[in-house]
Amino acid sequence: MANQEAGENPIKSEGDIVTCRKLIRNAAVAAGFGMTDVTRIVTAVSELARNVYVHSGSDGVMRWEILHQPGQIGIHLEFEDYGKGIPDVDQAMEVGFTTAGTMGMGLSGVKRLMDDINIKSEVGVGTTITVEKWGRAK
Amino acid sequence: MDGENSLSVIKLKNILLVTVPDDPGDDIIHELQTKVLHAIEKYQSKGLILDISSVNILDSFFARTISETTQMVALMGGKTVIAGMQPSVAITATELGLHLGKAISTLDVDRALDIFTDNFKLV
Repeated sequence: MANQEAGENPIKSEGDIVTCRKLIRNAAVAAGFGMTDVTRIVTAVSELARNVYVHSGSDGVMRWEILHQPGQIGIHLEFEDYGKGIPDVDQAMEVGFTTAGTMGMGLSGVKRLMDDINIKSEVGVGTTITVEKWGRAK
Repeated sequence: MDGENSLSVIKLKNILLVTVPDDPGDDIIHELQTKVLHAIEKYQSKGLILDISSVNILDSFFARTISETTQMVALMGGKTVIAGMQPSVAITATELGLHLGKAISTLDVDRALDIFTDNFKLV
């Protein structure tokens, strides 16, 4: 049984999006997150992993860590790519913003699903998006 | 542990019942669109029930595909009913800001069939 408290997975193909979702679903369930929070977390993972695969134009990686505080459990997720970067991070966070002909719900929606989102991006260097979600420990 | 991970397409009188696996990858979602449209042509179906009761993740890509498929089915003269969305998926989809276009939703496949018989009078 692999350690589910922390790990990483490459994002190089479409299939890696499903792998990322499965890894995080297992880790979040094992950590004791409730069903709705598990769905929120896995959905955010799907959006962010696809963001790396579709938009960055490069490979990337997802890293995760389960966090513990008295009475609380948390999950910290990081998505890093070495792609073209996001020229205007504030604009990318707006509802309806899209460069890919999609609904444009990706980043602004992820922000609503998670407790915290942080985007660091440099054009031509890459983007790192970190998100966190906290729940009550069982 | 992956279980059944493919689409099932069943002809039911003059509608199609399509069941989506629990964690559909992008390939299956792409396949959904073409498979449904070709089956509608082949069987001359008047409607589509999309059973998503097993689905435990619905992201913006999947939602867009459902919305587009509904539109394409409508262009071919058919109606679409989405059946069985799980509570946690409904909560997450709403918070994420997703919408499924013009598709009607029902609690389960039985109620979707009722809509086709009673409201649309197609079965």
